[in-house]
Amino acid sequence: MKIRAFTMLTLLAGLFLFSGAASAAILGAAANGSAGDNDGNKAESKTSIAAADDLDEYSNVASVPDPIQPVNRGTFWLNHQLYRYILKPISKTYDKIVPSPIRRGIFNVFDNLEYPDRVVNDLLQWQPKRAGYETEKFLLNSTVGVAGLMKVSNHFQTLAALPRTDTGLTFAKWGCTHGCYIVLPIFGPKSARDTVGFAGDVALSPLFWFSLWFPSAAWMPAVSTPDSLRNLHDKLGAYDAATENTLDRYLAARSAYIQYRKQAELNQSRSK
Amino acid sequence: MNLRPLFLILLVLLFVFQKSACASSTEEADNRLKKAVGEVVAITGHAPDRKALQEGVKPILDENISFEAMTRRAVGPGWRQFTPDQQKEATQLFTILIIRTYTAKFTPGELPVVTFKTPVTPAPGRVEIPTTSSYKGSQYDVVYRMEEADSWRITDVVIEGVSMIANYRTQFDSEFKQGGAPAVINALKRSLASHS
Repeated sequence: MKIRAFTMLTLLAGLFLFSGAASAAILGAAANGSAGDNDGNKAESKTSIAAADDLDEYSNVASVPDPIQPVNRGTFWLNHQLYRYILKPISKTYDKIVPSPIRRGIFNVFDNLEYPDRVVNDLLQWQPKRAGYETEKFLLNSTVGVAGLMKVSNHFQTLAALPRTDTGLTFAKWGCTHGCYIVLPIFGPKSARDTVGFAGDVALSPLFWFSLWFPSAAWMPAVSTPDSLRNLHDKLGAYDAATENTLDRYLAARSAYIQYRKQAELNQSRSK
Repeated sequence: MNLRPLFLILLVLLFVFQKSACASSTEEADNRLKKAVGEVVAITGHAPDRKALQEGVKPILDENISFEAMTRRAVGPGWRQFTPDQQKEATQLFTILIIRTYTAKFTPGELPVVTFKTPVTPAPGRVEIPTTSSYKGSQYDVVYRMEEADSWRITDVVIEGVSMIANYRTQFDSEFKQGGAPAVINALKRSLASHS
């Protein structure tokens, strides 16, 4: 009961806090325009003379306003300690104890249960065909794939190639830009748009609502929601890949996140 | 004499020749990359530890990566303010960092399965080769950007949409604005010392 209360409180407090912070950040970013980008935009105006040069090729790839950089850097530092001393050991222990096929199966089951998030976002993006494929994928994996344990859909090219979608990407499709960059405690890099989107993803997760009603399912939000323990191994791997051998971990993580999301937007727009 | 048919034939031949030259050039880049990736994968499979892996792949990467182009673009327009000696030093330091970054993606003894897709030519003399790497139960989209100078060489590696050079560019920009070329070189030295 105590665990349930703790999990719920943490998650809900986090969501409300971040939604509020995100709204404030969006307004702030809108008011400041791109002037808040401490690292990129000022330099761009100084060097615009060389626009046609290959030296300028990467100048605008990963720029995003970062008006609250000192706060973000502080949170990033705290997250780094958390990853290093708590989450990484947990992830390594989990990897050692639980065999890889079982880990994959657990991942698949919860991934399958995120179907409502994906299908609602497909429809909000006016992609009925993709929503149809998602439904087909869900039904196939839930039945032939034994409650989603096996991703049978990967044997079908159309279903395997479906791009991941989320509420942040729906906002992007509607024309919302990133707003400013925010580093969330525990969850890490996000933009203002994706922070609000993240709250939407949690709200669309059936397991989140299920756990609110059933005390025995209190652990579910910790593994079922996006960016949760279920993804820990992959998330930590991506974090290490982006921040090892860098001059500045914070800037490297920010650049990697923005580029990654741009690619996700591109993959969505390519998929019909 | 009506020269129009002759002119048309020449035009068609020119078009066909240009197409085939472009295709063979792309094929050359593709083959070069396949060979290089194959060699790196083979070394990864046999390397007992990370140090051996780095030493083993270095000659292959030296031969197939344009470290100078990578450093130049990662620094950006500030590169013009580097003296030739500073450019040389920055390239040498960045080369070590790139090799470490690239080899950090592999675990000695574990073999990735790389599938090559159809190359794309975004501009003359440039090729982007998309690949899919299956590694430790996960799949990653990796695009190799190559350019032709004296031969085809890799100028960027884009993993899941994240460009290695764009990522360093953000960091170099910040250092350059704080203290110009010496700040970039010192930051490179610090990074290499802290990760060694």
